[in-house]
Amino acid sequence: MIRKPLLAACVAGLLAFTAACGSGEGGGNESGETALTYLVFETPSLDAKFWDDSIAAATAQTPGVKINKIVAPSTDRDGYAKQLQQSGQFPDLLQSITPSNFVGAGLLKPYDKTWIDANFLLPSANSLKGEVYIPPTNSQIVPQVYYNKKLFTDAGISAAPKTWAEFLDACAKLKAKGINPIELGGADPFAASMPLVGIISADILGKNKNWLQNRYADKVKFADQDVVAAVSKYRTLVTSGYFDKGALGVKYADSITRFTTGKSAMYPMGSWFLGSVPKDTADNFGSFPWPTDSGDVVVPFVGGGSMAISAKAKDTAKAEKFGQAWSLNTKNLKALIETDGAFPMIKGKTLEDYGVTVTQVFKDSYAYVGQDNNKVNAIGWATNDDALPPGLNDAFYAAAQALFTKDDVAGEMRKLDDAWKTAVQ
Amino acid sequence: MRKKHSGERGLALLAALALVLYLVFLVLPLLLSLRSSFTNENPLKATNEYIGFANYTEMAGDDQLRASLTFTLILAFGVTVAANVLGVAFAILLNRTSLSYRVMRTVAFLPQVLSGVIVAFVWQTILTQNGLLNTALMKIGILDEPYPWLGSPNAALFSIGVVVTWVMTGFTTVVYLAALQSIPLELHDMASLDGVRGTQRFRKITWPLLAPGTTISVTISLITVLKLYDIITVLTGGGPANSTQSTALYIVKLAFTSDRVGYASAVAMLLLALSAVVALTITSALRRREISL
Amino acid sequence: MTTIPRDTRDRPAAGGRTALAPSLQKPTPKPRRRLSGRLRVLVAAAVTLLFAAPIYLMLVNAFKPQEKILDNPVALPWPPTLENLTEALGRPDNLIPLGLRNSLIVAVVSVALIVPLGSAFSFYLSRRSGKVKAAVLIALSAGLMIPPQVTLLPTIRILTWIGLDHTYPGLILANLGGGYLSFAVFVYVGFMRSVPDEIIQAARLDGASGLRIWWQIVMPLVRPATATVAIFLTLWIWNDFLNPLFILGPLQGQTITTGLYLTIGQYSVDYGQLFGIMFLAGALPVIGYLTVQKQFVAGLTSGASK
Repeated sequence: MIRKPLLAACVAGLLAFTAACGSGEGGGNESGETALTYLVFETPSLDAKFWDDSIAAATAQTPGVKINKIVAPSTDRDGYAKQLQQSGQFPDLLQSITPSNFVGAGLLKPYDKTWIDANFLLPSANSLKGEVYIPPTNSQIVPQVYYNKKLFTDAGISAAPKTWAEFLDACAKLKAKGINPIELGGADPFAASMPLVGIISADILGKNKNWLQNRYADKVKFADQDVVAAVSKYRTLVTSGYFDKGALGVKYADSITRFTTGKSAMYPMGSWFLGSVPKDTADNFGSFPWPTDSGDVVVPFVGGGSMAISAKAKDTAKAEKFGQAWSLNTKNLKALIETDGAFPMIKGKTLEDYGVTVTQVFKDSYAYVGQDNNKVNAIGWATNDDALPPGLNDAFYAAAQALFTKDDVAGEMRKLDDAWKTAVQ
Repeated sequence: MRKKHSGERGLALLAALALVLYLVFLVLPLLLSLRSSFTNENPLKATNEYIGFANYTEMAGDDQLRASLTFTLILAFGVTVAANVLGVAFAILLNRTSLSYRVMRTVAFLPQVLSGVIVAFVWQTILTQNGLLNTALMKIGILDEPYPWLGSPNAALFSIGVVVTWVMTGFTTVVYLAALQSIPLELHDMASLDGVRGTQRFRKITWPLLAPGTTISVTISLITVLKLYDIITVLTGGGPANSTQSTALYIVKLAFTSDRVGYASAVAMLLLALSAVVALTITSALRRREISL
Repeated sequence: MTTIPRDTRDRPAAGGRTALAPSLQKPTPKPRRRLSGRLRVLVAAAVTLLFAAPIYLMLVNAFKPQEKILDNPVALPWPPTLENLTEALGRPDNLIPLGLRNSLIVAVVSVALIVPLGSAFSFYLSRRSGKVKAAVLIALSAGLMIPPQVTLLPTIRILTWIGLDHTYPGLILANLGGGYLSFAVFVYVGFMRSVPDEIIQAARLDGASGLRIWWQIVMPLVRPATATVAIFLTLWIWNDFLNPLFILGPLQGQTITTGLYLTIGQYSVDYGQLFGIMFLAGALPVIGYLTVQKQFVAGLTSGASK
């Protein structure tokens, strides 16, 4: 008799409690503020503090906006953004994603083009079917090869290699001296693919800028003889022992430390690595473009940038305002330049205008952006019309990891073609 | 009379609530998954049409699926065998009543208490390229250069096997200990008097009596590995080159990052069928053994 | 449950020989036995230590700075440093306190709801005919077997329909319906078989309602089952990773498992910090396990004999 109401009360109480602890956390607009979710990712250089500071600065410029930061569990923010979308919580703002993954389903809202044209050096760097989803605030070269000058001298290498033959020669000399020639953070799929990005960008895209458009039109294939021949160069590097045997177990973050502490002589990586060059030994590091057969410079270029806006954002106008404020904030750019090696692309500003102190290797690397040279859209990294179809990046990374242990280049390239077919179906 | 009726209804209501929850959060999702497996549902392409058995025929030619199934089955059977052999050995070794043995028994179960995420992170610091194991082995001169415990497909399979076996052994040991303790001591005394010793004693007395323990710990080991997600996700994320991508991981990847919901559902149905077949055959075989002994 | 008949089955055969036994008994020389006993302890201790090595590493290295860990990971932490722990607790994202709090809420509320639901369902079921019971039990056993990845996405969709996606109530509801409930029902049904029918009949004759019989008579009798269910489910829900990662999502704060994964999964923290965080995250379940160890083993024993 007494127990029954007691039990009922217990159950009811618990249900009320669960309901209460759920409703307490949502929403968050006490003073008419719009709460927007913002997907970011952390790297050793873009840490939690950078994001919090940059969000605070941009929020100050866009009244009425409150930002809830979401941090992706890995640098693969595209994958995480899809995961969130799939479970019904697509963020309102998404930092440095690949728009082509999301525009198919109409998930993104483009920026106002007059604003883009007015503010950026290369307004169309990220243009996708005529629309710009990510302000091209900065650019990157993916990859460049960074090298340790002292280790080069130790191995008797006098100058940075320009041709593929010189590159192999340098590797051989380093290995003969007992120095690990090339660092690879192979446990993180994107990092594992760096040499492959370099090879395909230099050897294939360098000769045919429209290769990716041709691939979309099915006029060329990964299994074509020229691609297979180019990718076989990667096998040459692997079989000659120019990478650490256990490179696929090295995490990206560890690969940076290993290279900067002199465990390896060369490190093919995106130019964001420049932010991780230790200040006190910066003079010991140099960079060169991924070598080609002829020695001609090919620059795998990426118009990087800030954030995309969800078409379903709670308040797209405010979201765009926030995105614009964040993108033009020189303090953010300064932090990006110094810690993430970003090459700034805002109109009418030189490096000095940001008040940055950069290393010599940064300046040398940045020089390739200004020079009149053969720039191609780095494969797998481009965010414009040359972006890979959705899902293909994963296949590309998997191929790069697989080719570290398997010899079947043609087979892996055929798999890429199959994956492409599935992706564009 | 009235009171009784309301009380009767109250109980029925609670039971019905449990049933409804089960139907809504287990049976209904299963049916939805089944339905979805016959569609090309893909939210990023905004497609969702009925395509018959196309997903199922596609599975036949899917290399990643085949690799993931091979990996999952090798891991499941490897871990099950290893964890049960070790569990029996460990249980026999620790089947004593003094304090020191009780402490050891407590320790043996600890891996089961920690979450897979913690387990995986701790093992990662041990197994990674510049991890504690390589550091130690190089210091004492066994290795000249770090061994890629997680960095080559075969080594990563082996490493994950070791970690999962470690976790499962905590479980099997306690189950077998419990089974051993239900064996009357006199039985062993009798046996030793009859001159039944060592391996023979194990085969004739201990092993048959462990049978119910074997059923539960073999079944649970198999099912645990078939749905394992956290340890692999943290330890290798399925890499290198998808070589440690279990079918469970592949389903989540297909559904949540490749956005191929329809195809993911079809693969999920396959994993479901596989789990059912494995669990049912193993359980019924072991039960038969239990009875025949 | 089947152990009891098996024991009695074996006993007569063994008992038949007892008569002969005493006369044949040769006392084992005492010193030898002690020696082999000591050897056994040593072997057992060595094996246990090896087995516990990862936990040992976590324990000692949580109190060492990075250089000392790399220098000798197995050395005792002397002098111990608390820096790793204070740093882990002082993180600006409040990873540990928030994670522990959220995990506690989810685990406690889920278990507090599954226990009455599961037990009432089992009691109700135990009074139905054998065929109905068997059929329902088979249907429920599926719940133990189904990999959660199979039902994950539809579950999220269903929660979205009822407006509880990415909320704690949603996560808790999903916990109530899946394999956890099946587990509870299985344990309870086993125990309720041993509740004598006469007691229930007698209570019924006294005019007690079903609800009251269940709560006042049956529940106290199946207390060991409740202990087993509560302990194991708390542990499993506490350690769950997939459901909180996808059903709860990033905005509601993390449970301890997803918090660890999302914050330290991606770039190298130094080992000292990592062990410090792991130590704090793992301490609570381990303490819990140590306090209820007896019931823990009892629960497994009953499971093993069923």
